[in-house]
Amino acid sequence: MKKLILSACFALAGLVGLTTTAHAEGFTLKGEPKIAMLYISPTNDGGWTQAFEEARQRLEKELDMKIQYVESVPESASAIRPAVERFIKRGTNIIIGTAFGYSDTFKSLSEDYPDVAFLNGSGTTNGPNLLSYYGRTYESQYLCGMAAGAASETGKLGFVAANPFGQVNWTINAYAMGAREMNPDATVTVVYTGAWNDPTKERSATKALIDQGADVIGQHVDTPTPQLVAQENGVYGTGHHRDFREFAPKATVCSSVWVWDRFLKNELEKIIAGNWVPEPHGALLSMEQGGTDIACCGPNIDKEEEAKIMAARDKLLKGELKVYAGPLKDQNGNVHAEAGEVVSDGDLWQMDWFVDGVITQQ
Amino acid sequence: MNRRYALEVRQQMAWYWQALIIAGSLILGLLVSGTILVVAGVPAGELLNEFVILTLFDAQSLQSVLFQASPLIMVGLAGCLAFRAKFWNLGLEGQMIFGAIGATAITMWDIGSPAIRLPLMMAAAMACGLLWAIAPVLLRLKLQVNEIVSTLMLNYIAINFLLHLMYGAWKDPKDAFPYSPKYESFELLPEFGDGLSMSIPIAIVIALVVLWFINISRAGLYLRFVDKSPQVARSVGVPVAKTILLAVLFSGALAGLAGLMVAAGQEGRLTHSFYVGYGFSGILIAFLARNNPIAATCAALLIATLFVAGRSLQVFYQIPFAMVQLIQAVLVICVASSDFFIRHRIRRVQGGE
Repeated sequence: MKKLILSACFALAGLVGLTTTAHAEGFTLKGEPKIAMLYISPTNDGGWTQAFEEARQRLEKELDMKIQYVESVPESASAIRPAVERFIKRGTNIIIGTAFGYSDTFKSLSEDYPDVAFLNGSGTTNGPNLLSYYGRTYESQYLCGMAAGAASETGKLGFVAANPFGQVNWTINAYAMGAREMNPDATVTVVYTGAWNDPTKERSATKALIDQGADVIGQHVDTPTPQLVAQENGVYGTGHHRDFREFAPKATVCSSVWVWDRFLKNELEKIIAGNWVPEPHGALLSMEQGGTDIACCGPNIDKEEEAKIMAARDKLLKGELKVYAGPLKDQNGNVHAEAGEVVSDGDLWQMDWFVDGVITQQ
Repeated sequence: MNRRYALEVRQQMAWYWQALIIAGSLILGLLVSGTILVVAGVPAGELLNEFVILTLFDAQSLQSVLFQASPLIMVGLAGCLAFRAKFWNLGLEGQMIFGAIGATAITMWDIGSPAIRLPLMMAAAMACGLLWAIAPVLLRLKLQVNEIVSTLMLNYIAINFLLHLMYGAWKDPKDAFPYSPKYESFELLPEFGDGLSMSIPIAIVIALVVLWFINISRAGLYLRFVDKSPQVARSVGVPVAKTILLAVLFSGALAGLAGLMVAAGQEGRLTHSFYVGYGFSGILIAFLARNNPIAATCAALLIATLFVAGRSLQVFYQIPFAMVQLIQAVLVICVASSDFFIRHRIRRVQGGE
């Protein structure tokens, strides 16, 4: 009798084992795909969210289906959950988030709703039905750094940044490396505003940089304010998120722009096709995979310089150029990649060092 | 004959009439809001369905409402206490931030055994919220520094200190992102029943304590004196300064507890923008409730319902979020104007001359 129970147990264990392996093969939607996007800001914020909204409209055409959305969902569990659950309750089975602060809530939602696929832009959490994605903004910002180096007369560049951590620091370093590609003596002076969206601080930071002699202003903050201030003061600038020539046509020489639809179209088609296996550590998209691109070039960049920037863009789009390839040293002489190596993604996220030419308070 | 209307100040009004007038103004506000939504394209028939049936009679949505409501109840009560002492505490967000920082400090430094960790965190949250309220209340009492300015400015210091921690010493070493490491399971407010957070019963108990404090305790009696007229209170020997101090510190402690409820009850860690909007909501709730703790609890539930239902209107009718804020404003204006009818009466006078 005991033996029988035991063997039954084993049989059961075998069954469980089978189902888990079946599960491990990938995620497949249960019904017709129905997609919804959650935006952190209003759709006309001029930057981050508007880029997603523009991608959504292009995706609707390309995938030939309606994609719902909800705007201004703040980064708090008590706001995210009801919105997502309402969508799911009415049949939505693919949820696309757009904020770092959605990460934890999306993780627990993906566990509560294993039949729903979750994607989250600039998120940090992943799972069998959850994929975080972000762009290697340092690639496009490297190109804009080249444009800034070309546009500058003095070689003194300014940079208005949000907060001092990996994904901002990597754009600053790349910007400086790009600028030095065009002008080996270029320097990048950085001011952190401590906020992603604070036009007042961005204005005063930009003004201070211009007063110190910077004649091109780069940025990694959410509003076009630095470009507006650059235009008011007759200097140049480079934008982030979207083509900021919309706001400052006389100043903006280059913008790092999001092209989310290039990535999302692919990923959504994979999810809809079934047997979707999300990257276990998230998707950090190179330009080749369709995260970012540039809108280039504006005033004060001649044909020759533009050709050089576009040649570098081509190499990045083909995956032939790596911005963080060795040999690479920081200002203090610490080696971060030997010749032939590339800085690992883990080290990129943790980046708290700066290359030669960067001047910060950090 | 000359017929005129005269406006008179009312001395006294029975509480049920007051309640009726406020309820009436709320209903009026909801009707106006409903009209706006219908004009904006929400089918009239769906409105009742979305707002009432699907929000309050659906277990999951009700859970969302309660989930959202408990920190709102806390900041609402914090507002009531301070405003009763005629102290315009606009620093609820700063006190909330310090409350959450205090609680997180306990988790970061592993103070106390797992069994007593959560009570310690609550104590730390209340203590830190209280400490952040001390400076403005003392400045007001000793030097007559306007607390509207000082409490508001202290918010910015608190926000920047929070960012300093999030991007510095307390960032998650796991991925270097600007949030604290996740709390351990025993550091989270436990759930009971079907996913209901412990913060709801805590909020209700605290509401009852505040009710006792205001209506029954001796300090509450003094507080009513101070609320009506600080000058008279002083001249009849009420310890005005001590009463204000006590009420404001209580207020700060409750705001601190609200910080813990968000961190340990909702987010599971300290995040860089958890406090956004709570300061304004707290003032709004205290105002809607006319500083009555039970009414504040109801108003917090109403605001939470509005948020959850508003989210659903956004999700399914693509109503912009600004519309939800507009509805909030309509409700506030209606309740604010009802004050006029509570304080005044219009009487027809048969005019002589």
